[in-house]
Amino acid sequence: MKRLAAVVALLGLATGTACSGGSTDPSGSGGGGLFTTIDVTRPGIDANAPANPFNPKGNVFRGYNEIRLAYSKNHLTDPNVFYPGAATSWEIAPDNSSITVKLPPNGKWSDGKPLTAEDVKLSIGIAYTQGSTAFAITPGAAGAAAEVTVVDPTTIKVTQDMSNPSAKFARGVMDTIVVPAHVWGGVLPADFWDKLKASRGTGPVADKAREEITGLGQKIIAFRPEKDVSGGPFTLARVNPGEALLVRNKNFYNASKIAPAQVKFLNYTGNEQIWNYLIAGKLDHSGFTAVPTDVMNRIKQAPGAQVVRGFSPVSVGMAFNQSKKPYDNVHVRRGLAYLIDREQVTKTASPEGGTPAATTSGIHQRPAAEWLGDEAGTLEPYKFDKAKAEAEFKAAGLRQKDGRWALPDGSPWKVSMTAPAGFSDWISAQENIKSQLIENGVDAEVVTVADYPLYLEEIAAGKYDVGFWLLALGPAPYDIYQRLYGASNGWTNVAGKIRHSPAGKDGNWMGSAETIDVEGIGKINPGELTGKLNNVGAEEAKPIMVKLAKAANQDLPAIQLWDYVNAQFVNTGRFTGWPGEDSDLLRWPAGVWMQQGLLKAKR
Amino acid sequence: MSVLLEGSTTSATMRRNFWRGVWRVMRRKPSRLAGAVILLGFAVMAVFGPMFYPEHLPRDLAAGVYAQPSAEHWFGTDGQGRDVVALVVTGSRYVLLSALVTAVVTVVLGAAIGLFAGFRRGRWDTALMRLTDMKLTIPGLPLLLVLSTIWKFGSAVEMGLLLGLLGWGAVARAVRAQTLSLRERGFIEAARGLGLSTTHIVGKELLPSMAPYVAMNMLIAVTGAVYAQVGLFFLGVLPYEADNWGVMLNLAVFGGGAMTTTAALPYMLAPLLAILLLTLGIVLVVDAMDEIFNPRLREE
Repeated sequence: MKRLAAVVALLGLATGTACSGGSTDPSGSGGGGLFTTIDVTRPGIDANAPANPFNPKGNVFRGYNEIRLAYSKNHLTDPNVFYPGAATSWEIAPDNSSITVKLPPNGKWSDGKPLTAEDVKLSIGIAYTQGSTAFAITPGAAGAAAEVTVVDPTTIKVTQDMSNPSAKFARGVMDTIVVPAHVWGGVLPADFWDKLKASRGTGPVADKAREEITGLGQKIIAFRPEKDVSGGPFTLARVNPGEALLVRNKNFYNASKIAPAQVKFLNYTGNEQIWNYLIAGKLDHSGFTAVPTDVMNRIKQAPGAQVVRGFSPVSVGMAFNQSKKPYDNVHVRRGLAYLIDREQVTKTASPEGGTPAATTSGIHQRPAAEWLGDEAGTLEPYKFDKAKAEAEFKAAGLRQKDGRWALPDGSPWKVSMTAPAGFSDWISAQENIKSQLIENGVDAEVVTVADYPLYLEEIAAGKYDVGFWLLALGPAPYDIYQRLYGASNGWTNVAGKIRHSPAGKDGNWMGSAETIDVEGIGKINPGELTGKLNNVGAEEAKPIMVKLAKAANQDLPAIQLWDYVNAQFVNTGRFTGWPGEDSDLLRWPAGVWMQQGLLKAKR
Repeated sequence: MSVLLEGSTTSATMRRNFWRGVWRVMRRKPSRLAGAVILLGFAVMAVFGPMFYPEHLPRDLAAGVYAQPSAEHWFGTDGQGRDVVALVVTGSRYVLLSALVTAVVTVVLGAAIGLFAGFRRGRWDTALMRLTDMKLTIPGLPLLLVLSTIWKFGSAVEMGLLLGLLGWGAVARAVRAQTLSLRERGFIEAARGLGLSTTHIVGKELLPSMAPYVAMNMLIAVTGAVYAQVGLFFLGVLPYEADNWGVMLNLAVFGGGAMTTTAALPYMLAPLLAILLLTLGIVLVVDAMDEIFNPRLREE
């Protein structure tokens, strides 16, 4: 499950981390004390890894000794609202064509040198080599930046290429990790910006320029700074295989608000270790980790232990490969939806980290209310109903044979569900669904594959009949529906134009029909509608979202099973002032909470 | 005719005496009998046990998930509400069949290569022993982990075959050493002097002398194979099968928190006890075999 937790976290769910231990350090004005935590996205501390935020094993911890321009809020409908990071103010053009970012005048790196717009420009250059969304070098990519201009030492302006704009351009810019130019300056060649300009064209020169920029990515990942020069609230003091110790960065512009004098990241290799840390009350904070009910009860008994829950814009669904029979028939998909008791599935698989999906809309149920309004009530809830399932199966031409449903030609039918090994909640959910289906006359099996990358590769190659699929990755409306009506279902967005590939080609493994006749709406092309979401504001997006929700509800490319809950573990024994229940900040690591002035040492 | 009759009577008498000897050895220490009963019990469980359960084990929704042991569920239920004993019984077939295949492949390959190399000596010995050395240097677990990414091990025979192919090296080395020692003994010299064929010398003179060693290795290979495959399933690198003992351990520890709290403890203990009992049975039977085949250990 830890792998799934990491994946979900990287997709925009929870990650936070922070916690405390015992000893205190009187240094620093904001109080003191040791804050003990773990990084849930990264099991295993590599003491030899560099202090490099771009290195997957790098000893740079998000929100602590790493700083981004800003941290996006989980607004239910607007993707462009932020908490301050390295930037303290910003201005977004009404048509999303540019964003002007302002740095604080007293911003400094941990070595005392000023944090300037030149640092941001270099960081943007590095982002191009890492394949960032706003700084993509793929020709025609949606929401890509066109120009980066240093206005003055504390101001930088980034304009969007309006030939294929995206509503979440500003979000992409603000997600930039900022690194010091006086340390990282050498990683980009002097002619980098000329190369970037050349890469925007076509032909062999542009191809070569793109290749060179991509090639720089590996050099940057391997870069080993002599010491950690941080723009965040902490800086790395030392690291060994058991723990990483960070100390407060006195030069952080908001240092007076940072409560802990030190932060200790503990090493762990599996969930059980995290559970034991929590039961022993060792951690001041841990991000979302799958916890069995009995273990959760033990954790709650630890002095000061609290579980804070918040919104997480991620759902999981049981998705169908419609190139495989009988899943090409909508009645089969609907019949299965009626046979699966989602409450039972969620209770078994993710009792602490999920709520059963109210229905299949493609949207997490929280933002669904905002996007769909009263229309949400008109969607078919697909409550467990054996009679309705039977009617749907009959409509699909399935036949009952010796108490089991068989294909129309009488051959046996087995629902084969695949999940990656290690995703214990997915496997547990599939086992539960298997039991439910078998008890209701549908044969089923659960198959596992070695790991998540292999799972993604094989599902994209159309090897599975049915697999679990993350949905509703908000808050940007395009992001929500591209999981159902994006590349995995045949629709690709190239240079602002939506193109549909037939099932089995170009990663189209879901294989839905290109157009769907939606009851009460008429014929729609869901991929094209999803593409439109990229370029429209929230109000214009709402009617499109309604159409897509109805299409997803009627056509069921996936059965939405549960919506994730961002459960964070905190301990009030040593620190107070934690984000409250449902706080939007919960999705960011505790280092970001501290940057925003939360958390105070208990005296 | 009378010679023939005399011959068959002698062989029947020898057989009778052998089994009488076996019975005496077993009776001397009741623990050995217990070992034999345990092994027999596991064999019966693997062959007939799954027949007493439906293809898909039912859930006991009334008892709930991770139910504690009761008269109805001796080791409680798993995370889906299925009887843990039923899972252990239905899962025993895969574990034991693959262990048996591993043991057979290990001893057949190991004994054949060891005998051939030791008896022939010379180039064959050099070539086969270098091959054995090479095999022994390959670390088993990392290789299995790599192979598991490309091989699904869906059937017990496939699993057993692979473990057997990875495990014959030590047996081959030991059998070769024994062959080198035996081939210089008087009875082999005599057989050679009589002009008996190599097949006869190896099959009828050498092999019977090594049979006890080979048989004991076979039983020990069973435990090794059980540990290896349960370990692989426990690590989660092999495909999920709800009733596999290794998968049960994995789900109990990582899904149920059996090492942290008590709820899933019976679920974890059931396959562990099964493995422990199987190992105990094998150890006790090997102890008996040692005395049966080694006259010097007999306490007449």
